[in-house]
Amino acid sequence: MKKILIGVITYISFLIIYFIQTNFFNWFTIAGVSPNLFIILALFLGLFTSNYFALVLSVIMGLTIDFEVGRQFVGTTAIMLTIISVLSTYLDKNFSKDSRLTIIIMVILATIVYEIGLYGLNIFIFGFETEMGTFMKILLIEVLYNTIITSILYNPMRKLGNLLESYFKERNILTRYF
Amino acid sequence: MYKAKHPGIISTVITIIVLALLVFLTNVDIKNLSYAQSISTAVIKPVQNGFTYLKNKITGNDAFFTDLETLKKENEDLKNRNSELEEQLRELEIIKAQNASLQEYAVLKDKYSTYESVAADIIDRDISNYSSQLIINVGKKQGVDAGMTVLAEEGLVGHVVSATDNSATVQVIVDASSSVSAMITTSSESIICKGSIDSTSELRATYIDTSSEILVGDTVVTSGIGGIYPKGITIGTVSNVVNTNNLTDRYAVVETAVDFSKLYTVLVIKN
Repeated sequence: MKKILIGVITYISFLIIYFIQTNFFNWFTIAGVSPNLFIILALFLGLFTSNYFALVLSVIMGLTIDFEVGRQFVGTTAIMLTIISVLSTYLDKNFSKDSRLTIIIMVILATIVYEIGLYGLNIFIFGFETEMGTFMKILLIEVLYNTIITSILYNPMRKLGNLLESYFKERNILTRYF
Repeated sequence: MYKAKHPGIISTVITIIVLALLVFLTNVDIKNLSYAQSISTAVIKPVQNGFTYLKNKITGNDAFFTDLETLKKENEDLKNRNSELEEQLRELEIIKAQNASLQEYAVLKDKYSTYESVAADIIDRDISNYSSQLIINVGKKQGVDAGMTVLAEEGLVGHVVSATDNSATVQVIVDASSSVSAMITTSSESIICKGSIDSTSELRATYIDTSSEILVGDTVVTSGIGGIYPKGITIGTVSNVVNTNNLTDRYAVVETAVDFSKLYTVLVIKN
């Protein structure tokens, strides 16, 4: 029951983030490039909640974005957010989350994976022209922007993460120490 | 030894300031910084003038200053005259703009009078950095469906790709997956205008005939081929022609007539 409630609260938080992303970060850009808060959110869920919970919420969040602002083919954002969720579960098992630097490196990695994957899907499905130079420029700025935001939000993220972790992973044993 | 009580907060505040500066500096037009330049000039220029005056006195190069008073008066008169002329010019420009706008409305009314249309507001935009789609507040209930052309006052916006009961998704012409069959008005030659992830105000015109005389300033309109867009809707003007070694590879840059960053209302053509 508690997990369902957390799920509902997380989804409401996602909707708030969605409105911030579509309204505020549409004009608060670095050289015309906005950050992607959903990548940070999916990574955060994967790191601090259970695999199943993060996976389900990532799919729901991705589908919501696809329904609202997606293309004819519903699902590209959902696919990529699911991949980020799986990736974050892997990162959680193999790396420590106790330092700001590790989290920032994880965000960089997640942003690169997400954007390359989404751009690849867009080329494959919608026939986007391959413009690697421009894409790299956009990707670099987005990585920088996501890094700055993670750096700003690190402390509240960490506190909230620990709280969530106590609900989801209290009986877990860190197998990497065996 | 002194130790900061909240090092985390300080670094967060610094990061926020850096972020705000980055956003400001990368988005502001350098021309808009003229007020900062004025402040800087107001502080530095008088000191610099003082130094120049002293330097001229010392080097004996001060004959110039003998007529200073006369020159000042003359300068003041000229400034006043200039202000008057500028004011007259501004009034003329306003009248000219009003006239052009009225003419444009009259032409638009004639141009699109045959189409059945519905006005819509843009309620959302694509969140991706290399995709340009718009969500409008009209849908199937208002008779809007996939494939319909979307216009703005200045020209072509795009077409509806999907619609729900009360909203519709519009693929704009600058989207990276968009291709519009177009025509150069001066020569009536066909071209294809493609969007890119690089710009939200420019299109790349390809498939230019090798014998075609495409020039900067040429107007580009829809050709009507392809079955989505009606013929003769303004797309934009040629802003650059890029010649390559192979003539078949040359392309032109078309600046869109519609400013997509300032687009809030559109017109959906229903028939």
